[in-house]
Amino acid sequence: MTLTHLNERGEASMVDVSDKQSSHREAVATGRIVMQPETLKLLAEGDMPKGDVLATARIAGIQAAKRTHELIPLCHALMLSKVAVDFELDTANHCVRVTAFCRLEGRTGVEMEALTAVSVACLTLYDMCKAVDRGMEIMDVRLDRKSGGQSGVWERKAPSAMDVNESVTAETAALNTLDNTNERPVEIRFFAELRERLGIEKLSVLPGHLSSPTLMGLKEWIRSQVEAPQVLDQPRLLCAVNHDMVQGDVTINPGDEVAFFPPVTGG
Amino acid sequence: MITIQYEPFDIGNLHKRLSQGGHATGAVVSFVGRVRDFNESPEVTALTLEHYPGMTERALESVVERARSRWQVNDVIIVHRIGYMTPGDDIVAVLVSTPHRHAAFEACAFIMDFLKTSAPFWKKEHTRSGDYWVSERESDLASLKRWEQQ
Repeated sequence: MTLTHLNERGEASMVDVSDKQSSHREAVATGRIVMQPETLKLLAEGDMPKGDVLATARIAGIQAAKRTHELIPLCHALMLSKVAVDFELDTANHCVRVTAFCRLEGRTGVEMEALTAVSVACLTLYDMCKAVDRGMEIMDVRLDRKSGGQSGVWERKAPSAMDVNESVTAETAALNTLDNTNERPVEIRFFAELRERLGIEKLSVLPGHLSSPTLMGLKEWIRSQVEAPQVLDQPRLLCAVNHDMVQGDVTINPGDEVAFFPPVTGG
Repeated sequence: MITIQYEPFDIGNLHKRLSQGGHATGAVVSFVGRVRDFNESPEVTALTLEHYPGMTERALESVVERARSRWQVNDVIIVHRIGYMTPGDDIVAVLVSTPHRHAAFEACAFIMDFLKTSAPFWKKEHTRSGDYWVSERESDLASLKRWEQQ
C-alpha cells in the first residue's frame, strides 16, 4: 500500500490521471451535527433568525463539492455530473444527518467531493444556527460508500466512532447482552448548564451495575462515567425521579427516569 | 389549560378562551412575563429557554391543583414559551378566573411564584460579550415564604 499523493522522494505530488481509465464513479459521504432539541425544532419550523437553513446548507454543500480542488491541495478539478445533498432531521438524537452523493464519469474518484460537501453543509448549518446554539457539534463525517475506479466498490461495514452519549449507551447495551437479563435500564438525563458542563445529555444503566439501587448508587456510577465528576458536586443540584422532585436518597427502580439539573429559572 | 410552546401567544385570545361558556366568573387576573434587556448582564440581547418535557407540564399541573385547593378558582390558563426570544417578547402568561377579585389576584401570584421556583425551565441569556445560564434568585425563593404563613 502506498500513498499516491507522495512521489518517490516523499514529496507531495498530484497524481497523473491521464492514463487512468475513465469510469463511472460514485461516492456517498455522511455526517451529522448535534444540537439542542430546541434548536432542531426551530430549524424544522423554519424559525431561525437567518432564514431557510436547509436550503442554504444544501446549496453550500453542492457549491463546496464543485470547489473541492481549490481547498484540498492535491485534488483534481472534476466535472461532476451529479451532486446531491440531503438532510434528515433526527429528533430522537436531536441532530441533522447530512448525506452527500457525488457522481461523475472520469478518471479520479469523488470521495473528496462528497466529504467536502458534507463538511461544508455541516459548517453552514452551524453558521445558520449558531445564534441560538453555540454548543452544536459536527461529528461522524465519513465516507460510506464509493464505487468505480481501480479499487472498485468500497462500503463502510459497521458504524464507527460514536459520540460520547451513544458510546456509553452502547457499552451498557453490550453489558445487557452479556448479562442476558430482561432488566430495564435506568434512564438518566441532564439539563441546562449541567448538561453543557458534563457534555452529556443522556446516560443509561442497568440497575444491576449500581453499587446500590439508590440515588446515591446511581450518582456514584455517573461519577465513574463522566470526565468532569466534580460538576455533580454543586450544592444546588436538583434531582427528579419519574418527573417528581426528590430530596435526599431514594430507591431507584428498573425503568426509572432520573433527571439532574440546576435550580430552575423560568417565568 | 397548560401549554408549552415555541410560538408567541396572543394574550387577547387567551383572555377570550378563559372560562368560555360559563358565567360564574366575576374576576380575571392575567400576568404576562416578558424578556427584559437587562438582567444579570446590563445588555441582554436574547435568551434561550429550555424545559424538561413531561416534567414541566406535570409540575405546572401540580401548582394549579394547589391553587385550586386554596382558592375558589373557575379556570386557569398557563402558556409558557421555550426556545429563542428577544427583549420585548412575551415569555409566560398566567390567567386566572374566579368569582371574586381577591382570589384571582392571589391565585395568579401564587401560581407565578411556584412556577418560578418549581417548574423545570432554564434560561440562558445571550449578550454581546457571551452567553451564560441565569442563576436562581433569592428573591424568588423568598416570595414563596408568604404562602407558607397563611
